[in-house]
Amino acid sequence: MKVITGVVGNDIHVVANRLIDLSLRARGFEVFNLGVNTYLEEFFDAAVETGAEVLLISSLNGEAEGWGREVKALKAKYKTLDDLIMMIGGNLVVGSGNAEDIVPRYKNYGFDLVCHQVDLNTGLDLLEVFIEDKKLQKSNK
Amino acid sequence: MSLLQEERKIILSNEYVDAFDFAEVAEFVKNASKDLFISNHFKTKNKMLVQPRGGFPTYKKQFALYEFFVEANVDVLPLTIDSNTRLNDYATAKKMLRLSEENDVDMLNGYPLVSHGYRTTRKMITHFNKPVSLRHGTPDARLLIETAIASGIFEIEGGPITYLLPYSKNFPLDKAFLYWKYVERVCANYSELNEPINRESFGPLTATLVPPCITIVIQLLEMMLSLEEGVKSFSVSFSQTGSMNQDIVMGAVIKKLAKHYAAEIDCSDAAIHLVYHQWMGAFPMNKDYAEQLINMSTVIASMVGADKIITKTREEASGIPTKEANAKTVANTQYTLRILNGLPNVVDEEEEEILTLEVKAIMEAVFNDSADTLWRKVFNSIKNGIIDVPFSPHIINHNEMITVRDAKKNIRIIKRGSVPIPDRCYEYEKAQCDLAKDTTSIVNDIVHDIGIMQ
Repeated sequence: MKVITGVVGNDIHVVANRLIDLSLRARGFEVFNLGVNTYLEEFFDAAVETGAEVLLISSLNGEAEGWGREVKALKAKYKTLDDLIMMIGGNLVVGSGNAEDIVPRYKNYGFDLVCHQVDLNTGLDLLEVFIEDKKLQKSNK
Repeated sequence: MSLLQEERKIILSNEYVDAFDFAEVAEFVKNASKDLFISNHFKTKNKMLVQPRGGFPTYKKQFALYEFFVEANVDVLPLTIDSNTRLNDYATAKKMLRLSEENDVDMLNGYPLVSHGYRTTRKMITHFNKPVSLRHGTPDARLLIETAIASGIFEIEGGPITYLLPYSKNFPLDKAFLYWKYVERVCANYSELNEPINRESFGPLTATLVPPCITIVIQLLEMMLSLEEGVKSFSVSFSQTGSMNQDIVMGAVIKKLAKHYAAEIDCSDAAIHLVYHQWMGAFPMNKDYAEQLINMSTVIASMVGADKIITKTREEASGIPTKEANAKTVANTQYTLRILNGLPNVVDEEEEEILTLEVKAIMEAVFNDSADTLWRKVFNSIKNGIIDVPFSPHIINHNEMITVRDAKKNIRIIKRGSVPIPDRCYEYEKAQCDLAKDTTSIVNDIVHDIGIMQ
């Protein structure tokens, strides 16, 4: 399964990005890593270009909040991305915040899976469960 | 007029530069006090020089910081440049400087040297009459170093590789080589007027599990690129790895090989120095622990035999340090150096041999590239993965190499990618590690290995 990943905005936290890349590969995903400092358009363009089924955005410096609000409007401009699984993880706010507020807010921005300060492997387990569930739902239809 | 001089005129005819007077600057450098030249201190002092980090936006605050450092018996003053100036955005730097001056709030993370200009800055540098080291991170530092030298700053840190691969995603590497060639030549030319201008490479790179052979290769290549342009005083550097033995081995090998490769290009007349950076990775939040870590770094630097140490502060984990905390580290480090006597001589021949073989093999592969000049060979070698820096964000970097810590916390290569690590060395490196683990536990180990000092 193809996954696009990268760090959104003017954020250069490369360590997490490399570890996400490694971990996804270890789980058998085909990874297209756009690296740090990536803009939303680039993520969606890459999803179209590769036909990826998952988009995993990471963010550490709190910039995700600003970019998150643009997701729905921008994604609507692309015709083939309705089935794209949208995931975001990292430290999703500036300063401190709690997951109870943050998760619903990001789901509202258009993300299926939101991991605020969640351990990397726990987050990827959630992704795998989500993919399985989605497959089941499809075959049940 | 030479091509270089024509280029200098273009660079300095910048709307943010107030009438650069070439003749006056040359006259200033020629008659400048020997105390301003770190190259002269390296020659005459027989102690490790202590240099902190630090830069504030306004002249007033920078002056106050220097007063604190001098009080703490500093050897070398730092001038850390703000990030707008580093990215050549002089307009924003100028605006933020004005805001900082008017509101007493720091709107920049360093000293905007180009905005202050050399006439102003020179007053401060000559007032303190201590050597100053320029710390920046600029891929195109042409205007910045002209301004620095005109101000009396006679040590310039950086290089085309070490200031690009850790900091930038897509600044073109070939351009960086050419911009730094200008820097080397300007430094070389000024060096003929008085004591040499010292150039220093930035060995810590990403400060994240970079194996010694990669650090040393990049240090040697930047040294050669500098010396071949005529620079006569150069410092190679590296940062604390997390294993005392690995630091000592690195120090021994880099000193030996720096001499060797300088001789290879007929530059044995250049003075080569070794700089050690206190731990550059994530620091403990606990400020007392941070002081313990800093103190330990100083001990290791002494074991390594460094000529200069660059310090951290107890406030490292929480942001830009206060001048008080910064000066405190300087005083503490000087104290540790004063009482640290009778150090044992530690030599690990096997580790030295392995590391030397690795470095020589990579250097050989770089020299064997078919390009006609050294910088092009180095450029091609980075492009094709012969040089691969773990955790570099730059798109040109291969990111194929994987490193972990062994049981003694030495950084080991468990996947070499396209880096020509000789088979024997590769087997040795891997033999120190537990390779039976799956990738998930290796990733967990890496997370732990990065944060060992926390």
